[in-house]
Amino acid sequence: MNTAGINHRGLKKLLLYLALAAGALYAGFPVLWMACASIKSNREIFSLPPRLLPEAVNFDAYKTIFSTPEKMRFFLNSYLVAGCVTVLTLLFAILAAYSFSRYDFRFKKQLNLFIIATQSLPPITLLIPYFGLITTLKLYDTYFALIFTYMVFTLPYAILMMTGYFNTLPRELDEAVMVDGAGNFRALWRVLVPISRPGIVSTGLYTFLISWNEFLFALTLTKTTKMRTVPVGIQQLMGQHSYEWNEMMAMSILGCLPILLLFLFFQRNFIAGMTAGSVKS
Amino acid sequence: MAQVTGAAVTGARLKRLATPYAYLFPTLMLMALLMVVPMIMVVQYSLMDNVITNKHPQFVGLENYAKVFQDEVFLEAAGHTLYFTVMSVIFHMVVGLMFALLLNSKLLGSVPKAIFRAVYVLPWMFTATIVAILWRLLLDPSGVINYILKFTGLAQSYAEWFGSSATALNAVTFVNIWAGYPFYMVSLLAGLQGVPADLYEAAMIDGAGSVRRFWHITIPQLMPIIRSISMLDFIWTMQVFPLVWLTTGGGPIHATEMLSTYTYKLAFSSYKFSLASASAVVILVFSLAIAFVYVKYQKARD
Amino acid sequence: MKRFLSVFLTLMLLLSLSSVSALAQEDVKIEFIQWWEPELPQGFLRGLMDEFEAQNPGVKVELISGPYSSTKDQIIAGAATGTLCDVVGLDGAWVNDLSKQGAIANLDDLVAAYKTDDSEFGAKVSVGGKNFMYGVVTFAYTMFVNNDMLKAAGIADVPSNRSEFLAAAEALTNADKNQYGWVLPLSLQSPNGIQNDTMSWVWASGGSMMNKDGTPNVNNPDVKEALTFIKDLYDKGVVSPGSFSKQEQDKVEEFVNGRIGTMVDTLAHITMIRERNPQLDFSVSAVPAKDGYDGKRGMVYAAWGIGVSENSQHKEEAWKLVNFLLNSDVNARLAATANAFPGNSKAAPDYSKADPLFTKAFEIYQQSYACNEFVGLPVAEELMRIFAEQFQGALEGKQSIDDCLAAVQEKWQAEF
Repeated sequence: MNTAGINHRGLKKLLLYLALAAGALYAGFPVLWMACASIKSNREIFSLPPRLLPEAVNFDAYKTIFSTPEKMRFFLNSYLVAGCVTVLTLLFAILAAYSFSRYDFRFKKQLNLFIIATQSLPPITLLIPYFGLITTLKLYDTYFALIFTYMVFTLPYAILMMTGYFNTLPRELDEAVMVDGAGNFRALWRVLVPISRPGIVSTGLYTFLISWNEFLFALTLTKTTKMRTVPVGIQQLMGQHSYEWNEMMAMSILGCLPILLLFLFFQRNFIAGMTAGSVKS
Repeated sequence: MAQVTGAAVTGARLKRLATPYAYLFPTLMLMALLMVVPMIMVVQYSLMDNVITNKHPQFVGLENYAKVFQDEVFLEAAGHTLYFTVMSVIFHMVVGLMFALLLNSKLLGSVPKAIFRAVYVLPWMFTATIVAILWRLLLDPSGVINYILKFTGLAQSYAEWFGSSATALNAVTFVNIWAGYPFYMVSLLAGLQGVPADLYEAAMIDGAGSVRRFWHITIPQLMPIIRSISMLDFIWTMQVFPLVWLTTGGGPIHATEMLSTYTYKLAFSSYKFSLASASAVVILVFSLAIAFVYVKYQKARD
Repeated sequence: MKRFLSVFLTLMLLLSLSSVSALAQEDVKIEFIQWWEPELPQGFLRGLMDEFEAQNPGVKVELISGPYSSTKDQIIAGAATGTLCDVVGLDGAWVNDLSKQGAIANLDDLVAAYKTDDSEFGAKVSVGGKNFMYGVVTFAYTMFVNNDMLKAAGIADVPSNRSEFLAAAEALTNADKNQYGWVLPLSLQSPNGIQNDTMSWVWASGGSMMNKDGTPNVNNPDVKEALTFIKDLYDKGVVSPGSFSKQEQDKVEEFVNGRIGTMVDTLAHITMIRERNPQLDFSVSAVPAKDGYDGKRGMVYAAWGIGVSENSQHKEEAWKLVNFLLNSDVNARLAATANAFPGNSKAAPDYSKADPLFTKAFEIYQQSYACNEFVGLPVAEELMRIFAEQFQGALEGKQSIDDCLAAVQEKWQAEF
């Protein structure tokens, strides 16, 4: 009886790991290829038959990036903008989600629709009127132009996500705090927010990524090289006559490393124990 | 006996009425300023002729819309966009859910869990330009994917994934699925961890197997999240541009033409901004319809 | 929480300050938008600007460099909102549309206003008789040939007419070894393949796709012959697979890796090919003409052009920069560094440090005439795309060459 139980469990575990490995291949192989390409010479990337691992490891792409201050500044700009966008979006979204979740008011449905609807125009057509607006507001070629623009793209999802989270938390929680005399604002920050950490983390991550990877508005709303972000920097390597393939790959890899670390760090900290029935009444 | 004056009551009531709006105020202000204004301008453009290229555009009403709907390329693009979007959303969900379930398994230790989680989230970390270029290299006729397929005997010859009208649309959809599933995976994983454990325990006591538990507990619990991310993803995917543009440019011969590439070409290649605006407004209306249905459903549930 | 907020607010304040640039009040600052800086050696273009600033005290030049593919969009958006840079790097294909938009200035007016002698400035692009762009440097396209592959296939001479080319391409092709005779990039995303790889055959034989009055005449025997020839190559399997999504950059990489025997390409790539594959033995020759043609051959070119924004507040300084880049000394240096031909007809670039192939190409160039009928046409990129779409259909066998050309002619006329 015992051995059968263990075997069954062992088989399940084996199947699980096989599935996990297959998934890892699907998700990770292209990225692995990208990483290898970043340490190959441009010519080797196109060699036939294609090889995964480089014949001659070549760090020139990385050397070029690290030794060019303009390129390093791209990374700084991207992080700065993405960081600010994340913090501000979470702030605005938590407030808005509290409103949608805990209150019933006249224009609730319409406002909800409005916020989602702002996603619905293809950015490419918004480009020219948007550009005109930003110039009129004298925000052209500033960090603020990018920060505010990205917030408009990230807020709808953030609000949706946070509203959903707050909806799963029963009102007894709020009331428990408010009975002690605290206002609803306090109920929000003291109670709801800490419990919604998994939601906040995944929303924050998503917001950061959207902001980090955005290209079109980063290109249009910035003018000088010192304001540009990583995606623009990558596109600049796509010259009229030739591409610097390995440098493009290297910039991508460099870009994703810190985000990956951030992701690992936050997930470890907040996932464990959040399921531990914190809402048991 | 507490005496409350009329003014105090009205004051308190006003405060209560205004509070939800106050919480929404920062968001609304930002959206109104930075979105509504340009949107109105685009709608305006769509009702005029010779916008941007001509300093004195004239009002032409719905003429641009008529032209756009009569263009067979537009209709083709609409069809492709629908196919692309629906397939993407479905498979994003399937792959995302599969990975989320795998990662949520209790049989998985915390260290392997962290490693696999990081690997699965990788496709998300790269800007659309790089994803497009990377897959163009991988799916090149003499690229590594074809080589592996031939080597393992799964294919007879080198397929032209992006270059052939038969496979281009599916190739582009495949790449989009790869690039977009982490969004679902992360949201669903967070959702899975929010499902109360006692629900499962109760079901197990009642003798429900894992499949039944999945369909009757997991899925219903995840439904709100599934609905909202599907809707958002649907709207976003309808507008996907750099991925398609940089891999196929809408070709071969319109095989992968999407509403977004169609609009872009009208605007920046033909300089017909009025028509491009009309096309954009059409996309806007479709998206609004979906958003409307979603919000209505939400209201009904509440 | 409070501390966090105050730190955050301070950060935001710092951000807003950092965006303000400090500039001496007396300096006139002009902006020059182009895509050339990343294509030139690091610091070269900036060095030229510094020279200009030294010669013109009180004027500062800011280089706005962007990716080539987005520069056109940026210029359009900039022109539409009145924020276009003073000096504008241009591609001949954009001139017609930008001039209609009123974005770029009529350079003849500036010549008159500042009494400049622009007789040496070649490669003018005019629309409706008015000049809007000067070509600063031009990149010519020739046939590149992989000598190793040619020798291995037993071909002694570089093909000089179409039938020799067909024979050579067939001999060079070996599908099992993934080697092909020729390559045709027909991607719709940037449809330059029509200009560089398709129409070049027509122009090399003295043909034309336009009427003398500037209206399209695509459906003529010269064009038909060339297209039929290319379709023949395609059907015989001598063209590298994946044409419909292939771009110019892919074409070059395949050549560098010895997978293609010949390609029509820009001379700007000579340096790049040498860097990527120093062992490759290749040469350049004129694009083969049709059999029996011995007239002057047209040579495709692409130019780095320059113009002035119509809304510029500093037209005088902008004009000075344009003249600076076009004077024979600076122009010669720029051309030599960029591996291009000078826009100034009197300039004598020092090609001694350049690749010997480049000198050979220059000789070919001097015996040909520069020819690119897409320059100056309205919506030139869209015209190329229309042609590419129809031609793709013909190559796939979905329509005949006649139908293809008739469709192109019809659609083009709608644009004129």
